[in-house]
This record gives sequence, C-alpha cells and structure tokens, in this order.
Amino acid sequence: MSFVKNARLLAARGARLAQNRSYSDEMKLTFAAANKTFYDAAVVRQIDVPSFSGSFGILAKHVPTLAVLKPGVVQVVENDGKLIKFFVSSGSVTVNEDSSVQVLAEEAHNVEDIDANEARQLLSKYQSELSSAGDDKAKAQAAIAVEVAEALVKAAE
Amino acid sequence: MTAWRAAGITYIQYSNIAARVLRESLKGPLRADAAKRDASHVKFTPWANGKPAQRQTSQ
Repeated sequence: MSFVKNARLLAARGARLAQNRSYSDEMKLTFAAANKTFYDAAVVRQIDVPSFSGSFGILAKHVPTLAVLKPGVVQVVENDGKLIKFFVSSGSVTVNEDSSVQVLAEEAHNVEDIDANEARQLLSKYQSELSSAGDDKAKAQAAIAVEVAEALVKAAE
Repeated sequence: MTAWRAAGITYIQYSNIAARVLRESLKGPLRADAAKRDASHVKFTPWANGKPAQRQTSQ
C-alpha cells in the first residue's frame, strides 16, 4: 500500500523536476586559464574534455556534471564547425543545468604552440629523473611530469 | 587511489607540476614569457607601533 503511494509520489516529483529543468538548445562555453581567456560565454557546438573520470564529449542539454581535468587535449567544435584543439595542464570542468559550461585550467595553450621536439626532450628528461628518483614523493612528482610530457608528445604529433 | 595521491601529493601540487611541464614545452618566445609565471612571490611587511618595521620577500 504505502509502497504504491510512495512510488506515485516519486513519479510525480520526477515529472515536476523534468519540467522545471531549463535546458537550453545552445551551449555557452567559458574556457579560461591563468594565462589567457579563450572563450567567454561563446556559443559552441561540442566540447571534448579529458578528465580523471574518463574523456567525455559535451553537447547542449548534457546532464549537469563536475569533473577534474587531466593533462590532455580539449577539443572545441565551434558553431561554424571549425575544430580547435587546446592543451590543458589541469583544472576543472563544470556543466550546468542551463547548458553553460566552464572549463577552468591552470595553464592552457593552442596545440600549435607546443614544440614537438621540446616535448620529446622533456619526456626523456623526466623519464631519467623518474628512474633516479630516491623517495616515493620524488618518484611520484617525476611520474606526473612524465605523464604530462607523454600527453604533450602525443598532442604535438 | 592514484600513485601520486598515495605519495601524499595533492591535486594542487599535481596541477602545478602539470602547468610547469606545459610551459616548458612551448615554442621559443612563448616559453620565455610563460616562464615568468613559474615563480610566485609573497611580500611580508610586519608593522610595529603603526609603522612598517622591515620588509621580507619570500619565493
């Protein structure tokens, strides 16, 4: 009895929530880093972000989400279909109910601004640092640098 | 848990390392400009009797 009643209440509540959600057909992206603001509430078609919970693509009407950025490439498909790639070091991504998206990074640059040779040199430099690291902390720090350098080499290809 | 988290490194520290490596990988002129963001300074001015006593700068 009470189960049926509860189920009905839950269903009614769910329907109301769905009505109240102000989903928008347009997605407004704000993408900023300490060094530069790339987009300020600009309408874009799609955003792909690398996060610790996996890489994912965001379109308008995406379910509200919070995620922590992983070093890697953020791809933005602008409204005219133009694809632009950025490398982000770290930061956060927020997807809101009104289809606005905030990508906030500590450091972000156009992929074209990465020097492929420099990235390869950094990779071998930090790999040797990792193998000669003494304690756990130094090892972990070098491993992070190696991970970032690997992502940079891949992005600059 | 990731290896770095187990070693006692926070995400802020992780983020700092990642940002530094990205800055180091940039093309020539950009890299020189970005390197300026590597260091941060904190300026302390202790006050005594309503006047600044001495200045200290730490990196």
